[in-house]
Amino acid sequence: MDYRLDELGDWDDRIVEVAKKFGLDWFDIEYELIDSTSMIGAMAFHGMPVHFNHWSYGKSYERTRHSYDAGVEGLPYELIINANPSLAYLMRENPLYLQVLIMAHCVGHSDFFKNNRQFRDTRPDTIIGRSRAAKKRIQSYVENVHVGIDKVEEVIDSCHAVQFQGLQPGWIRRTRKEIISAHIDEKERDSEHTADLDFDKNPLEPDYDILGFIAENAKLPEWKKDIIEVCRDEGQYFWPQIQTKVMNEGWASYWHYTILHELNLPTELHVPFIKSHNQVIRPHVGGLNPYHIGFEMFRRIKERHGIEECFLAREVHRDTSFIHQYLTREDCEDLGLFTFSEKSSGAVTIDDISDDDGWKHVRDILVRNVGGGSIPVIFVTDVSKANTLSLEHEHDGRDLLSSEALETVKHVAALWGNPVSLQSIVNGKTHYINV
Amino acid sequence: MSVFKEHKTNADRVASDRRRHNSKIEKAIREGIHNIVADESIIGQSGKKKFRIPVRGIKEHKFVYGDNGERAGSAPGKDIQRGQKVGDNSKGKGGKPDKASNEKGEEWYDVEMTLDELAQYLFDDLELPDLQKKQLTNISNDKLKRSGYRTDGIQPRLDRKKTAIMRIKRMKASEFVPEEAEEGETFPFHEEDLRYRHFKLKQEPCTSAVIFFVMDVSGSMTQDKKFLARSFCFLMYQFIRTKYENVEVVFVTHDMEGRIVDEESFFTVATSGGTCASTGLQVVNETIESRFHPSSWNIYVFHNSDGDNFDSDNGDYLKEHAEIVDSAQLFGYVELEPDRSFDYGDIKLSRLLAPRAGGKTRCVKICDKSDVWGAFKEILGGVKETP
Repeated sequence: MDYRLDELGDWDDRIVEVAKKFGLDWFDIEYELIDSTSMIGAMAFHGMPVHFNHWSYGKSYERTRHSYDAGVEGLPYELIINANPSLAYLMRENPLYLQVLIMAHCVGHSDFFKNNRQFRDTRPDTIIGRSRAAKKRIQSYVENVHVGIDKVEEVIDSCHAVQFQGLQPGWIRRTRKEIISAHIDEKERDSEHTADLDFDKNPLEPDYDILGFIAENAKLPEWKKDIIEVCRDEGQYFWPQIQTKVMNEGWASYWHYTILHELNLPTELHVPFIKSHNQVIRPHVGGLNPYHIGFEMFRRIKERHGIEECFLAREVHRDTSFIHQYLTREDCEDLGLFTFSEKSSGAVTIDDISDDDGWKHVRDILVRNVGGGSIPVIFVTDVSKANTLSLEHEHDGRDLLSSEALETVKHVAALWGNPVSLQSIVNGKTHYINV
Repeated sequence: MSVFKEHKTNADRVASDRRRHNSKIEKAIREGIHNIVADESIIGQSGKKKFRIPVRGIKEHKFVYGDNGERAGSAPGKDIQRGQKVGDNSKGKGGKPDKASNEKGEEWYDVEMTLDELAQYLFDDLELPDLQKKQLTNISNDKLKRSGYRTDGIQPRLDRKKTAIMRIKRMKASEFVPEEAEEGETFPFHEEDLRYRHFKLKQEPCTSAVIFFVMDVSGSMTQDKKFLARSFCFLMYQFIRTKYENVEVVFVTHDMEGRIVDEESFFTVATSGGTCASTGLQVVNETIESRFHPSSWNIYVFHNSDGDNFDSDNGDYLKEHAEIVDSAQLFGYVELEPDRSFDYGDIKLSRLLAPRAGGKTRCVKICDKSDVWGAFKEILGGVKETP
C-alpha cells in the first residue's frame, strides 16, 4: 500500500464535496479494504457480506480464482452493493490513484441505486438483514434431518434456473383479486367492449413471475416455499442491476471521470488515472463493453442536452429505453456498432452496419441484447385440471436452445411437483417440451 | 463522509460451497472418466505423474437463446462491411474448446491428478459384482514352508545337526561319558535320534501379473481402430496395476507374423500385409513358457483385432487360444470396429471364439470411444451395461 487509510479519508472528503456540488445524491458508503482472495470470495456472493450457501458459489469462486491466477482476467477494482449504506470493497493492492478513481466511481453507482426508478422496490435498507436471515433459515433446513443438504441444494438449483424469469419491464403482477376487481370496474365502464374473464382459469392473465406463481399455487412444504421465495426475492433484488448494466456503469464512469478532473490531481496521479480510465472504457472489439457504451452515451447526452437531461435519464430509464431514446445515428457510427449472426454454414457474418439504411436496425438489435434482453421471456398461461403447468415462450425471432430449455423445464417441474409443458417456436414451428 | 475499515479476514466464507462444488466435480469425473482416459499415453508412466484432465463443469441450466438470433457488436474505427465474415463456428463444434469456456456456457475444468488418483476414481466405485473373486483372484502359488521337525521323513530332509543334538541328549540322559568309555564302546546313532525337517505346503498369493497386449497391425487396422485399442489397453493396464504388486507388460503385434515390440511401435506400426492372428498368440505362448510360468504369474492376455483373419489360420488360432486359456487368468478378445455398418459376412474372430466365450474367454466389441468403458467392465465382470 502506497498510502495510509486516513489519506483515503482525505480524498473521500474532496470527492464528496465535488460530487455534492454536481448534485449527486447517494447513500452513505462504507468502504472495506480487502485482499484479492477475500475479493474473490465476496464476488462469489455478489458482494453480500452474508449469503446462504450453495455449491454454485463455490463454482463461481473457482472460476474467478482460475482466471485470475491464469491472468486471463483481472479482478474488478471495486465491488459495491445496492444497500443503504452502500457497502463497497476496495482491493488493498490498488495504488492510491486507483482507489481515488474507484471511490468516485462508487459514488456514481450509489447515486444510481438510490435514484434510478428500477431500483425502487429493492429495499436497500434491509437487504443485508434479509440476506442474513435467509442464510440462517436455509441453514436450518440443511440441518433438519427431514430435509438435509441434498434436497435444499436441489431446490436452489431449480430456483436459480428461473430466478431471472418474470420481471418484465412495465409489467406489474396483480393478484387474482386485483384482476377481478379491475375487470368489474372495466365492465361497469364499458360492458360491450370488455371481454369476458374466465374465472375458472388460473392464472387469470399471463404470469411472468414463475417462481412467484409456483410459491403461491403449488402444494409445497414450508421450507421449500421459503427457499423459492428467498430466491425470487434475490432475483428481484438483482434484476434492476441486470436491466441497467450499461447505464449504471456508464453513469459511474462518467462521474469518476468528471469528479477526478475537478480534483486537480497532481501529475503523478493524473497520468495513471487517465490510463486506467481509458482501460475501463475501451471498446471491446467484436463485443460490447457496457462501460464504453454507457460512458459515451452520457457524455454525448450532456453535450447535446445538458447535464439536467443526464440526471433525468438516470432516474427514469433502463438500458433498453435509454438506448432507444438517446442513441443516435452518429453515435452508432462512432461506436462502430454492427449486427452479426451465425449462418447455417457455421460462418458468422455481419448483417448490418450503422449507415443510413442500417443504423436503426442495429440499434434495435442492440436494445434486444442489453438490459436482460438476452433472457428469454417465459410466462405461465394455465394450470390444467390434471395440474399440468403450461408455460409459453414469447418468441421474438430468436429460438430457444432446446437442450437447455428441456433441462430448465425439468427444474420448473421439480419445483411444481407435477407435469410442466412449455410451448415455443423452433424453426418456425410450434414446439412443445413436456416434462 | 464515508466510512473506511479493514475487511475482516473471512476469506473462506465460500469454503463450504467450494467443497460441495468439488464433490460434484468429483462425481462428474467418475461419471465421465471413460471420455477422459482415451487420450493418455499408456504405460511406463509413474503413478505420481500428474495429468491435466478436462472435466465438464457442473452446468447450471437456464432458458437461453440458440444461435439463430442476430446479435450486436462494436468495432469503432474499423472498416466493416455487410456480409463480412467475423467468425466461424463450423469447425470444432462439440469438441473440447481451447478456452476455459465457450460461448454456450459449456464449461471445462482442468483437474490435475496423478495416475494413481485417476485409477482410484476409475476403479474404487466400480460396481463389478464378484470382480475380484472371480476374475482377479490371485492364483495361488504352492510354497513349501519349514514347519519344525518330525521323527519320520525322507532321507534328503534329514537334519544332521538336529539329529546329532538328539543323540547327545540321549547320551547325557543315559549318563554315558565318552571319555570314560571303554575301548570299543560307542554310543551309536539310534533310530529315534533321527530328525527330519518338516515342510508344510502353504498357499501364498502370487503378487505378480503379466499382461500381454496383442495387436493386429495388418493393413485393415486403421489408426481409428488403434486409438480405441489404446484407450482400452490404458484402462486395463491401470486396473490390473492396482491389483498386483508387480505388473509386467508385453506388447505383441502380428500381421502374418507375431513379434514382441515396444509400446511405441505397438500403437504406431502399421504393415500392409494380411493377417495370421495365430502367430500373435503363438508368441504369447512361447513367452509364457520361457519367462512367465503360470505358477508364479497371473497371466492376462488381450487381443485387439478388427476380426479379420485368413480362413486358413482360424484352426491354428483356436489351438493357440486353447493353450493360452490353460495358463492364463483371462483372455480378452477386443474387436475394434469403427464402421458398425459394414459386415461382409466374413467369419470374424469374434464369431470363431463365440462358442468358447464365457469363463476365461471374454469377447467384446468396441465401435467408438463411448464403448470403451462398457467393454472394459464387460470383460472384467461379465456385466453387460445397459445403455
